[in-house]
Amino acid sequence: MKSVAFNLNGSPVTIDVEPEKPLLWVLRDDLGLTGTKYGCGMAICGCCTVHLEGDAIRSCVTPMSRIEGKHVRTIEGLSSDLSHPVQRAWMDLQVPQCGYCQPGQMMSAACLLVQNPNPTDNDITDAMSGNLCRCGTYQRVRKAIHHAAEIAANKGARA
Amino acid sequence: MSGEVSRRFFLTASLAAGGGFLIGYSLSPVSNLAPNSESPLPLDDFPLNAWVRISSRDEVTLISSQSEMGQGVMTTLPAILAEELCADWNRVKIEISTVAPAYRNPRINWQFTGNSESTTGFFELLRTMGASAREMLIQAAANRWNVPNEECYAENGRIVHRQTQRTLKFGDIAEAAAKLTPSQSPKLKPERDWKLLGKPLRRVELSSKLNGSADFGIDFTLPGMLYAAVMQSPVHGGMVSSFNKESVMNLPGVIDVVPIPNGIAVVAKQYWYAHQALKALKVEFDGKANSATSTAILDQQYRTALNGDKWKAVKTEGDAVRSNSMTGKFPQVFTQEYESQFLAHATMEPMNCTASVTDESCTVWGPLQGPELAKLTLSGMLKLPLEKVYINRTLLGGGFGRRLLVDFVVQAAIISKAVGKPVKVIWSREEDIQHDVYRPATLNQISAGLNESGRPAAIAHKVVSPSILQFVYAPAVTEDNDPSCLEGLMESHYEIASQRVDFKLLKIGVPTSVLRTTGYGPNIFAVESFIDELAFKAGKDPYEFRRGLLKNERSLEVLETVVSQSDWRKKAARGVARGLAYTEAFRTHIAHVVELSIKDNLVTIHRITCAVDCGFPLDPEIIRNSIEGGTVWGLGVAFKSNITFQDGRTVESNFHNYQIAQMQDTPPIDVHIVNGSTKTLGGTGEVGPVTVVPAITNAIFAATGKRYRSLPLSKHGLKLASAA
Repeated sequence: MKSVAFNLNGSPVTIDVEPEKPLLWVLRDDLGLTGTKYGCGMAICGCCTVHLEGDAIRSCVTPMSRIEGKHVRTIEGLSSDLSHPVQRAWMDLQVPQCGYCQPGQMMSAACLLVQNPNPTDNDITDAMSGNLCRCGTYQRVRKAIHHAAEIAANKGARA
Repeated sequence: MSGEVSRRFFLTASLAAGGGFLIGYSLSPVSNLAPNSESPLPLDDFPLNAWVRISSRDEVTLISSQSEMGQGVMTTLPAILAEELCADWNRVKIEISTVAPAYRNPRINWQFTGNSESTTGFFELLRTMGASAREMLIQAAANRWNVPNEECYAENGRIVHRQTQRTLKFGDIAEAAAKLTPSQSPKLKPERDWKLLGKPLRRVELSSKLNGSADFGIDFTLPGMLYAAVMQSPVHGGMVSSFNKESVMNLPGVIDVVPIPNGIAVVAKQYWYAHQALKALKVEFDGKANSATSTAILDQQYRTALNGDKWKAVKTEGDAVRSNSMTGKFPQVFTQEYESQFLAHATMEPMNCTASVTDESCTVWGPLQGPELAKLTLSGMLKLPLEKVYINRTLLGGGFGRRLLVDFVVQAAIISKAVGKPVKVIWSREEDIQHDVYRPATLNQISAGLNESGRPAAIAHKVVSPSILQFVYAPAVTEDNDPSCLEGLMESHYEIASQRVDFKLLKIGVPTSVLRTTGYGPNIFAVESFIDELAFKAGKDPYEFRRGLLKNERSLEVLETVVSQSDWRKKAARGVARGLAYTEAFRTHIAHVVELSIKDNLVTIHRITCAVDCGFPLDPEIIRNSIEGGTVWGLGVAFKSNITFQDGRTVESNFHNYQIAQMQDTPPIDVHIVNGSTKTLGGTGEVGPVTVVPAITNAIFAATGKRYRSLPLSKHGLKLASAA
């Protein structure tokens, strides 16, 4: 066991934990943030995507030893009132079906839009190819990312 | 419970016990009109029937009996109730039902979510229940005002007295209304007055799916709950021969090691500890009995069955000419074979369930499509009366038929009983794929006797398939028949005078069950490929050829819609080809046109057009979403997904080798809904993949002249190019 201190969704957290324990299970079972999902355990499906220092990473293969002193953002930290452009776009286009993969999809999309505020279809494919959706919502995910980019741009223009 | 009892026992024992009352039972309206009272309600909350509760605080609660797995039933079905009730949709609360006779699908008197029949099965019933509750509220208001019922009407959560424009909120009269005798044949609202049905509604659980708060089975927790990781015999049907509990008991967090049917479970304080300890556990399996099973051996088994003479004639129409009697009878005879592969469900949420078992009762919480099967199975296994088995359903992270089975529910109950605490079982992805109950591979042979112009005068199908329904609806399966394996063949719209279908139900060493599209998927791949081949032989356009064989108006309208929307009649760009397929499946008519080009075995799909007639579109946006997703599912089936076996084991284990469609595989998909009638409602949850798969292979033929008759296309070296 080792004490790991990090910032989670804007708040400081310190937890005694095995350094090799994946962030996914710490979020879900130690901290009760179950929005981040287990899907494959091998960084293939993207259900467990969270932000680490602003980058989209797979929390199922990220040991706690890598988290010390870092900023972690989960779906619960995107916004509590569904005001984040990605959440608004997902709402407008009714993207989710079963919804299980969508936290991962949305975290990957949110990261993409920070790094590339006006992505092309190809940019979206590149950024999202590691997020699987068994319901097959990809067409709406793609449209919603373009829509979120517009929402964010309009917000910026007003601000 | 002994670990020696086979998994098959658990899956079928309860059906053998309970099967007698599954069929041939008519719906009792009384069970629906009576309030459901398994769990205590607040004193000011008044059930008007099993589906509608209204509190004196003016809260309207609508019951959702069908499991929400992305198909939108938790929105569309309560909207039917709300429409008839004239409730304020923005203020209703939706509650997931218990397991009770009132919530059974009226067609087969059995509570489950599957077979694409939630809407078709419950539409009339829910209209009646909503209308009955509305009439009770109107009566209660009329009584209060001392005016005739006819002077009152319901609107937006209130009862209005037409003459005086006085109003009462539903909540003001809920208590009085609940005391009235429900009307069993209430007057239904005319369709022209509908405010909710036919319009896109925001899914009721949508917000929760956007901020991480949606509770799937895997998210459910109880105080003091333990977690279990399971490992079942890698060889299908094998057993644990020995295990050394002490090999893991001193590892962090480990509580116990518990035998389960065909496997072993490690119980720990958290899932990660259980998962780690399971990897370290010394355990031996005995799978000798089944260790020879492989894809090569299964292929031989199918081939032997096809070449054999043991057939059950399941359909004979007209002269029903056998394939081997066609030569000489018709100017031309044409025969081809088509193969569909084994598939895994691979729901994004792996199998999981939470159970709390004591000597007196059993309570489970989980993502279930088959709650009544779970209840019966647990009652039988734990020797508890049915009323002491409580089934709670969460949201489902995908279902596709996998969650009609209860193997994972049984495990949770066995482990909870063994450790005397609530336990959540979670399968690893590897366990989920290697111990799925697979969509069976199918071998189809179709022969046609053709007249001079190439039009089929006789068609004969031979189908070899393992059972689909054995584990989820055993009463429908006999020694030599399983109706689900024949879907799409028994009720073709193609006008062919002589038709026959012969079936061979194959017994194999790997477990098989229902998966999205069930028998329709493989059978329509075969039929729509074959029809395309006949069109080519006849020198006809695939659309014109099909139109010549179809008389049904709905078939023709769907075909016409997809043809006009896809620009079928316009010449495609150089190097671009189109393929078409049509069918009726799950009571819905559907057609796809796929437009693609192909270079060096790399297939680029440019666009996919779909037309669908599922009767009156109760929620067009949910329907469109479902068909889009089903089309994407079909891309995976056509090109990528394949389960194979070696040494009795499933070879594929995770998404790296069991591949499904990804974003880069997804071209623009346009779904066109043909407006139909409420009298001809059809399902849309499973139909999407059915026609897109043959439309793809038909388009590849149009592009290259090469006909692919077995799936997935990766077997033939074909790959999907990035669509964007």
